[in-house]
Amino acid sequence: MEIKSIEHPTLKVPYEVLNKKFRTTQKTLDKEISLLQTAATELEKGLDNSPSVGNITKLLDGVIERLNVLKRKAEESIENELKYANVCKKRLEHIKQNVTNTASLHKSPNMRMEEDDEHSNESQIAIAAANQWKKIRLNRLIVEHFLRLGYYDTAEILANRSGIRDITNIDIFQVSREVEKDLAQHNTTKCILWCIDNKSKLRKINSDIEFKLRQQEFIELIRKGERLNAVKHAQKFFPAFEQDQLHEIKKAMALLAFPIDTELEPYRSMFDIKRWEELLVNFRLENYRLFQIPTQSVLSVAVQTGISALKTPQCYSANSRNINCPVCQPQISEIAEKLPFSHCAQSRLICRVTKKPLNENNHPMVLPNGFVVGELAISLITDQDGNVVCPFTNEKWSNPKIEKVYVM
Amino acid sequence: MEAIEKVSTEVEKVITKFTAINEHSSKLIQNEINALEAIKTALQEQSSESEMLTPQQINLVKSTIARSKEKLHRLAVDHRDLHGTVSKVGKAIDRNFIMEYHQVVRQDLFKNEANIKLLDENIAQHFYRQGMNDVADSLVREANLKQEQINEDPFAELHKIFEDIHHRNLTTALAWTEKYSKELEAKNSTLEFKLHRLAFMQILKGGINSQNEAIAYARSNLSKFVVKFQKDFQVLMGCLLYLKVGLETSPYNYLLSDEMWIECADTFLKDSCNLLGINKESALSTILNAGCIALPALLNLKQVMMSRQVSAIWNELPIEIDVERYHSIFACPILRQQSTDENPPMRLKCGHVISKDALNKLSSASIMNNNHYRSSLKCPYCPSEMVANDAKQIYF
Repeated sequence: MEIKSIEHPTLKVPYEVLNKKFRTTQKTLDKEISLLQTAATELEKGLDNSPSVGNITKLLDGVIERLNVLKRKAEESIENELKYANVCKKRLEHIKQNVTNTASLHKSPNMRMEEDDEHSNESQIAIAAANQWKKIRLNRLIVEHFLRLGYYDTAEILANRSGIRDITNIDIFQVSREVEKDLAQHNTTKCILWCIDNKSKLRKINSDIEFKLRQQEFIELIRKGERLNAVKHAQKFFPAFEQDQLHEIKKAMALLAFPIDTELEPYRSMFDIKRWEELLVNFRLENYRLFQIPTQSVLSVAVQTGISALKTPQCYSANSRNINCPVCQPQISEIAEKLPFSHCAQSRLICRVTKKPLNENNHPMVLPNGFVVGELAISLITDQDGNVVCPFTNEKWSNPKIEKVYVM
Repeated sequence: MEAIEKVSTEVEKVITKFTAINEHSSKLIQNEINALEAIKTALQEQSSESEMLTPQQINLVKSTIARSKEKLHRLAVDHRDLHGTVSKVGKAIDRNFIMEYHQVVRQDLFKNEANIKLLDENIAQHFYRQGMNDVADSLVREANLKQEQINEDPFAELHKIFEDIHHRNLTTALAWTEKYSKELEAKNSTLEFKLHRLAFMQILKGGINSQNEAIAYARSNLSKFVVKFQKDFQVLMGCLLYLKVGLETSPYNYLLSDEMWIECADTFLKDSCNLLGINKESALSTILNAGCIALPALLNLKQVMMSRQVSAIWNELPIEIDVERYHSIFACPILRQQSTDENPPMRLKCGHVISKDALNKLSSASIMNNNHYRSSLKCPYCPSEMVANDAKQIYF
């Protein structure tokens, strides 16, 4: 179940690439075969009109050459398809490892006695393997998270260092990395190429990114004072988007009438250089939509649910903070503020002194100042002279009244 | 497992089919090439350039070409037909794996710059902690973090010392304990004694010749433990008796075993983390592992909630998640709510504990019923009666 909930992008991204490779292969095959058909038709015509040996062998050569090209291209593209099918396979195998580990854990009966040192070797190894897998998972999720935030260099270092490159989407996001770099330098070229490359898919998801790019190019031409070129640009590219973007087109055309330092909205913000940043974020989001992966990284989702699972009102109460509790850490508690608390309908009480659970074997006792400790802790907080010292407030009582507490 | 199996099956199908079509297409195209090459060679051998082809030859070329066209056309069709196999993988993934989280988590949480930064800082901290400074440094650079915002993680140092102990090197550990000697003492830690004991035993390993050195070491370093660790101290001094015959055969030979080192290293990590107030696991990994447990449970619930149209953002999770807890949690047995600073646990006179809210409700209910001026109430769990003011706040 854990796997079902968090590994969707791990598989879906290479699948989308596989699917795309399939389409390109099909396109290549169709194109090459139609070229071949043309060559063959030429040959057939030659046979009908001037079937000289010289002419025919020349035409035959043409056909054979096309066949050779086809053969090479077909092999290349199908290999490519297989490559990504194998990427999927590899990831499935990695995910499977965890299931096998946990399965062997549940089989081993010693698992229940975690306190016991006498773990069977097998279960110890299984625990270690499961922990290792979790460690890799954390690194994998962090790499994906970095990719989304555009921290490509760090993602690269982490993936290489922990040897998990091929089970992350780092290589697949290489293209988007290039595009982003280009956009960050206020260039549209690579992003336009990306749009062309993914045209049919982008149309399917109703993306307006290409229009936004063309619009930005138009704005940049005006900024450079090339208003005439801007008009030419508009004539060339805008008509294709007339249907959906008429309003935006009108706004853009109106820009021609304004100086670039205009104070008038919406034109002022259209000239704003910040639009490039928006464009970059926009591209990133469209790219996720293309791969059909959620806009939030799995890491950020799991961090949210994890914080909630651990968050208690005690994390925000000065006298019950626990240094070991992740949610009590200042940075995390700030993130946690808006998240729900964990649910707990049954008391889970631990003695603050011995860290042992409070129950019938370690009855909760209340000190005169209201602090509760376990029965087993009483002797530990009693000094040689028989005085009881509160471990939290350092109050000292000789022969205090320590009463039982009943928790239902 | 089932989910993985299902996708695996589809992926296997893709691999088999594409491998097959790959071989098939190369062979097929090669055959056509060969056939045409053969015709070409035959033509060249038989006739001179300008000669016309015989009708039979024309027919042969025509039929070969027609066959090639047909076969290749079919190849393209065959490849297109594989699309079903490919898209089945995608469908299997979508059907067996979950990609929608927006019902169970907040969408806006990490759209907020400040929160992104906080998370980044935490990730950087996590890597510093593991000694993966190159990753952390790069993150600080790329995410524009302020180095000061990230606490210099003392754990990295502790981890190094921990490894040193494992490698039989006590220098760093002893230096560390000396620095924190007072604090360790206050916490009743056995660490310092254990380290010195190991050092002492290391000297004794030198045999009778190191006797004087050992005694000197004990005088300057171990004497302060005499009161606290009287028994252990006696044992250590007892070891001196066996120096001549060899400690290995003495009743104290257990002091030389590997376990002593491993145990000491563990004590070091535990006590030092405790002292400095840091966790053995990084916060990030604890949270993430908890999140991976919580997520499926919440997603499971999502379906139920959607069918009942309950709102998606809660003040408290709707179910209990089984993860390690770091706090004593008192849940009021009446209101089934966790206690808070505003609603703390109250101990009734009879010893039963309920939350303040529950207490207030009980006492106001009893005022209504009995018309008493004093708010007397009966414990919900036993027959005792008391006034509400008798209840005392307690701290778990």
